[in-house]
Amino acid sequence: MTTASLKGPNWGMVVDVDKCIGCMACVIACQAENNVPLNTQDRVERGRAISWIRVERYWEGDFPDSKARFIPIMCQHCANAPCEPVCPVFATYHNSEGLNIQVYNRCVGTRYCANGCPYIVRFFNYWEPVWPESLRNHLNPDVTVRSRGIMEKCTFCVHRIRRESRKARSEGRVLLDGEVQTACSTACPTSALNFGNFNDPNSKVSKMKDDQRHYTLLDQFATEPNVIYLAKVDTDRKVGAGEAASHG
Amino acid sequence: MKLNRREFLTLTGKTTAGAVIFAACGLPERELIVQSPVDLPEDLVRGEDAWYATSMGDFTNGDGVLVRVMEGRAKKIEGNPDHPVNRGKSTARYDSVLQLLYHPDRISDPMRRFSKGGNLVDISWRQAEAQFQDALVNANGSLTVVTNPLRGHLGSVASKFAAKFNGRHMSFDPIEQGVLHGAVKSVLGQDQLPTFDIANASTVLSFGADWLGTWGSPAQFGVKYGEFRSQGNRGYLIHADPRMSLTAAAADLWLAPKPGTEGDLALGIASVIVKEGLASVANIAAFNAALPGGLSGYSVAEVAGKTEIPAARIEKAARHFAGNTPAVAFGGGSAGAHTNGSFNLGAIYSLNLLVGAVGARGGVTANPGSAFEDISASATGASFESWEAELAQWRAGNVETVIIRGVDIVYGMPNSVAVREALDNVPNVITFGAVLDDTMAFADLVLPELTFLETWGTDIPEPGPGYQVVGIQQPVVGPTVTQDETGLISNARGFGDMLLAMAGGSFGSSMERIVMDAVSELHDTGRGSVSASSSALFMNGVLQRGGWWDTGEKGAQGTAGRISTTTKSAGYSDTNALGTGEDFHLVPFVSNSLFDGRLAATPWAQQTPDPISSASWSTWAEINSQQAKELGIRQGDVLLIRSTSGEIEALAYPHPGIRPGVIGVPIGQGHAEGGRWAEGRGSNVLSILVDKKDSETGALAWAATRVRVQRAGRRVKVPKYEGEVEARAAEPGVPILVVGPGETAEQAEKANHHEYQGSLFKDD
Amino acid sequence: MQQRRPLDQVYTNRKLLNGQLDTPRWWLPTVSILGVLVLIGIGVIAIMVNKGLGVTGLSRPVFWGLFITTFVFWVGISHAGIMISAILRLTQAEWRRPVTRAAELLTVFSLLTALVFPLIHAGRPWRIAYWITPYDLGRGIYPNIRSPLIWDPVAIGTYLTGSTLFLYVALLPDLGNLRDRTTGWRNSLYTVLALGWRGNPRQWKLQTVGGILLSALMLPIFVSVHSIVSWDFAVVPAVEGWHSTIFAPYFVIGAIHSGVSAVVTMMALMRWLWKWDDFIRPEHFDALARLLIVVATAWLGFTFLELIFAVYGQDAPEIALREMQMFQWPWNMLFIIFLLCAYLIPVPMWLFKRVRTNIALMFWTSILVNIGMWLERFLIIVPGLSRRTPFVYVWDSYRPSAVEWTILIWSFCWVTFLMLLFSKFFPLVPLFEQKESQVFTDDVMIGRARVPAIIREAD
Ligand SMILES: Nc1nc2c(c(=O)[nH]1)N[C@H]1C(S)=C(S)[C@@H](COP(=O)(O)OP(=O)(O)OC[C@H]3O[C@@H](n4cnc5c(=O)[nH]c(N)nc54)[C@H](O)[C@@H]3O)O[C@H]1N2
Ligand code: SF4
Ligand code: SF4
Ligand code: SF4
Ligand code: SF4
Repeated sequence: MTTASLKGPNWGMVVDVDKCIGCMACVIACQAENNVPLNTQDRVERGRAISWIRVERYWEGDFPDSKARFIPIMCQHCANAPCEPVCPVFATYHNSEGLNIQVYNRCVGTRYCANGCPYIVRFFNYWEPVWPESLRNHLNPDVTVRSRGIMEKCTFCVHRIRRESRKARSEGRVLLDGEVQTACSTACPTSALNFGNFNDPNSKVSKMKDDQRHYTLLDQFATEPNVIYLAKVDTDRKVGAGEAASHG
Repeated sequence: MKLNRREFLTLTGKTTAGAVIFAACGLPERELIVQSPVDLPEDLVRGEDAWYATSMGDFTNGDGVLVRVMEGRAKKIEGNPDHPVNRGKSTARYDSVLQLLYHPDRISDPMRRFSKGGNLVDISWRQAEAQFQDALVNANGSLTVVTNPLRGHLGSVASKFAAKFNGRHMSFDPIEQGVLHGAVKSVLGQDQLPTFDIANASTVLSFGADWLGTWGSPAQFGVKYGEFRSQGNRGYLIHADPRMSLTAAAADLWLAPKPGTEGDLALGIASVIVKEGLASVANIAAFNAALPGGLSGYSVAEVAGKTEIPAARIEKAARHFAGNTPAVAFGGGSAGAHTNGSFNLGAIYSLNLLVGAVGARGGVTANPGSAFEDISASATGASFESWEAELAQWRAGNVETVIIRGVDIVYGMPNSVAVREALDNVPNVITFGAVLDDTMAFADLVLPELTFLETWGTDIPEPGPGYQVVGIQQPVVGPTVTQDETGLISNARGFGDMLLAMAGGSFGSSMERIVMDAVSELHDTGRGSVSASSSALFMNGVLQRGGWWDTGEKGAQGTAGRISTTTKSAGYSDTNALGTGEDFHLVPFVSNSLFDGRLAATPWAQQTPDPISSASWSTWAEINSQQAKELGIRQGDVLLIRSTSGEIEALAYPHPGIRPGVIGVPIGQGHAEGGRWAEGRGSNVLSILVDKKDSETGALAWAATRVRVQRAGRRVKVPKYEGEVEARAAEPGVPILVVGPGETAEQAEKANHHEYQGSLFKDD
Repeated sequence: MQQRRPLDQVYTNRKLLNGQLDTPRWWLPTVSILGVLVLIGIGVIAIMVNKGLGVTGLSRPVFWGLFITTFVFWVGISHAGIMISAILRLTQAEWRRPVTRAAELLTVFSLLTALVFPLIHAGRPWRIAYWITPYDLGRGIYPNIRSPLIWDPVAIGTYLTGSTLFLYVALLPDLGNLRDRTTGWRNSLYTVLALGWRGNPRQWKLQTVGGILLSALMLPIFVSVHSIVSWDFAVVPAVEGWHSTIFAPYFVIGAIHSGVSAVVTMMALMRWLWKWDDFIRPEHFDALARLLIVVATAWLGFTFLELIFAVYGQDAPEIALREMQMFQWPWNMLFIIFLLCAYLIPVPMWLFKRVRTNIALMFWTSILVNIGMWLERFLIIVPGLSRRTPFVYVWDSYRPSAVEWTILIWSFCWVTFLMLLFSKFFPLVPLFEQKESQVFTDDVMIGRARVPAIIREAD
């Protein structure tokens, strides 16, 4: 949280994995909100589907003790983001509000950042995005349609942040906690996804992130993510029971 | 008082300050300024977004939504935070409706077929109306109006229309809820589906119903589930389903009974509770009263034998259920889709009596009747049995005119009833719809229909939140222009308005009028979430909030009845005549994104990864991975799945989350029509269901089909999001960290070697 | 040392200038066919740029594939030039003489080819102004100097400039020679290019000193180029198998291995095509093969170091990656081919002098090395991307598309095409070097055999 510690907000997400049911509401909400190109069958088959947030499903154990575990993964908006230094053109950089910004018109499409990102949440536009003309009516005018040849990824719905901040500013007041909600956190029925300002000690996310179940993904890379996860609870797991979780 | 839209707009400006008083829930503090009625074209040029509240009519069980409209175009559908059902939350299916609205293959004009089997040709509305009129006149009483189960005033319009022409109004729901309604009625004595207070329950025991994914009111249940897990004493979920659904995956304890033995399992659990004295004497007495024949034959050992679930697991479930109250039990879906469905669901719901859950906090509470005298608070499809009878009439040429709306009967009914043949013998088949479906391919007259985003209506959510709710559906985008470069076509009309017009206005002039009258009726009650000095202001308030509700108007507890025991053991179809292959029990399941197929036309629904298999754009078949290994079936193998009513193909997706001997196939693909994204994609599992019925209600026992499965000898890539290898925790450090109750993440990381280093060589 | 016949200057001139003075019969058809293939390749590239990288087999998470592999490959090949010319010149290895020019040419042309790949692999190659040159400073937009992708073009650009100068300086005496033997437009061309070369002592001195200075200056570049290329991978901690501290020397030594092998391939071809048996002789192959044995073995050491680091560090994910690379289909097949081609087949063969002096065997073994070394780069780049620890959910494989294969083949046609085109206008074997060596050698009688004695090599 280096750059974001000045005065402004430090946006972040707290993901309660224990509440995620894998319903995919967040996934489609993000597609609709952010004008993500249609993931046609070919794109899905060839590993080119773009989904700024994905819900990974991991199997554990075998029948009848098998378990399916879901975890939503989006850009972690790392304070120390490995995707940033490798970009030759500064098309991806960190802003003062804790966001990892992607500047579409700067990007030349080297895909280097995508190799650098340990969370694999960057998506390359292999093709020009096309919508049948009539479907363009539902495109969100607040969000650019990315052209072929460039990178895209979760922006923490920066346009929503901007919209709400602008409104608050014009009304001469500070943003309230919860006023900015991302498309995915709005959709999530179980409130597994929670968005807010970590610089506000009284915000919901600030309180949630101190939960004893909190962890971040891939600590070993010291990326300092702005997405905090709260671990999945398994009542069958004995405390300190070693095997149960990650060895399946 | 008559108000036009312009006046509404003026009013909105004046009244937001405070003339409309929001009672009951209070208006939550939030940023969206939800607009009152749609007002075009002024909002076309403002460059600012407007959010309109409406009700999600045909695509949910009555969820309230806000639609973001900009420059006259709908951009996004989100939950309405005010609405008591889904409280601002969504499912993966909401936004797909936008793609139906703007579907490039939306039917632009009325179409007519001049001879059976001929081509559809565009005609004008004037010609269409004339033909419609002829069909009504010719029908002379032999008329059937077929719709999806319609809630609110549209349902009553359809019924009144049918009645006016001496016809019938039949609802069709491929996934029938009749068994469920029957069980709720007979055991709990309630006419409407009750609400389950999941949020406050310590234990939830559910059977078959994928209530977190597709069953009942998933957005409502999802919100409650979030609260259920947030309780100081984290709720415990037990779910029984032969296949791992979303709900089963979320469960702390998953039981995978042999399909059809869900009722036995419920009674097995009951017998443990009774035997171990885990329930109060009064509750046991109430339970026994509901159970003809008592619990003999349901000892845990016997039930373990029938369900093929180890006794220890049944006991564990029972102890949790009775030991951690408040607890609630409910079920549906495949648990009720057997020849003994009524028995199964009856047994399941009766468990509530055993833990005193009926009417209790954290239990099952009744929903009240509707706020309108002439509108039912409940809508179900007619039973399969009645449909068989009805179709026999069609086939016999006894029905002159059939009007179909909101349901694809050719797609949704099994081969055994030969719908196509029946339709061929109906002289006038009139269909309404936005995108061509399989039924329209047999219609004589195809009428382009407005979607719920363009029409007026009311909605009575079912299951409701435990008190009276009326959702209001308003057109959030105006009638869109034709022929411009955006390819927008909407020469469509509302189904309700069309019926009203064809009936000569005898029971209403327009849906808009009907909705206004209904709202006035609500105003006259003098209670509820909106109170205002004039009916215009009241209307404004109701539209702004997306509906009206009265938290004080609760459902009355019915008197408990007895569970049905007509058939206690499930009967399955036979596979003897099916040639080579391996016998499996077919469990179709509702797709998380396509639902029962009604969203298959949209690319978003098509592309949404299935939560369990992560597959999209296809029909896959889930089988147990160990069994698949034994049979030499690998992922992507094309499987031929054969029942006595037909054969389909599906791509094998073996995984560990399904009972051996069971094959799970999603519903929703295999359309012959349905626009560029749905046509000819995947297979329709509904088509191969056999005509087994629930012995009590005559509902289709859609989980009673047994099939023979064979490899076709081809292997293709499954269009899925999961990578090339099965995503298992193959090495330390997979992103999901699992903690035991009370364990900190740090402790778990240490214990699990969650960090990368050193687990391969250091001892585990 | 075997016998060889004494060469007089006239014979040397005629033989070595036969490309320029009279055209061999195979030249035109070969160059035409290659030209067509080159055009097809350019067409495919144009289609790719026009349609988008969707025509490749790339996906998520394998964002880099054949193009980057081939880029590294050609940069590797380019190391031959400096190795042969600069180092051997500085160490005064006499056997370098007939092959310096061709090796330098290979450097220049392979660098030109290598540069194409990062450009066409970018999603929007037309935006290189931000990235390569000129920087878009007018709008206050600076490149990110932390990114190795900025240093790649800098290093390669410097190397290309140096190599071109080097090539040119060494070409001057031959250009003078050609000028004196041609008429018409050719004469005019050579006159301009020869920069007034008269062969006077001052010019010779300048030329020699210039060559030596350039050689010395090129050495750091030699080390830097492939080091920087290796950092494209080494700085990425998230990709198992990339993030390695030994990559710089590992890549450089690998580059020499493949580059020198490419020179061997080329020498054999030159000898066959232009019948330069008198100039490109078995002892040259012998010397290069000896060098290769050392280089290849050092390189193999690095390869095993990589594995040892994984095991010694007990780094589970890396061990898992190596396990996949070596033992899982189809990587294991590629790994075996790679190891056989890059080392296990050629190097033991080279231990025998009979092999080292057998031109055909040297030709084929050197080709094997480069097949192996291409695979080495592929196996470094792709498996780690395909298996992104620890997000098992996104592991996906990569199959290059026909477009990518076509462009790979194009690059070979393109380099060969350029070499042949060059050979039409400039001598591939430096005449002056050749003659210098003839001056330095004398023949001695051993028994009844006349055996060449190379004066310079004695000290
Ligand atoms: N005083 C003064 N006069 C000027 C200028 C100035 O600087 N000062 N500038 C001059 C210049 S450069 C220009 S370009 C002109 C601009 O003058 P106009 O072309 O008159 O532009 P606008 O004033 O923007 O008005 C355009 C109208 O189109 C409507 N409109 C918006 N979207 C659509 C659409 O999709 N379809 C249709 N049919 N209508 C739409 C808008 O509501 C608006 O009423 O003014 C010129 N006049
Ligand atoms: S998650 Fe990936 S893309 Fe996002 S900031 Fe971190 S490294 Fe960059
Ligand atoms: S793909 Fe774009 S953002 Fe990523 S490194 Fe290349 S230029 Fe930068
Ligand atoms: S925060 Fe916004 S951009 Fe990011 S995943 Fe959620 S919806 Fe998508
Ligand atoms: S919406 Fe929420 S519960 Fe559903 S998949 Fe996304 S994070 Fe999980």
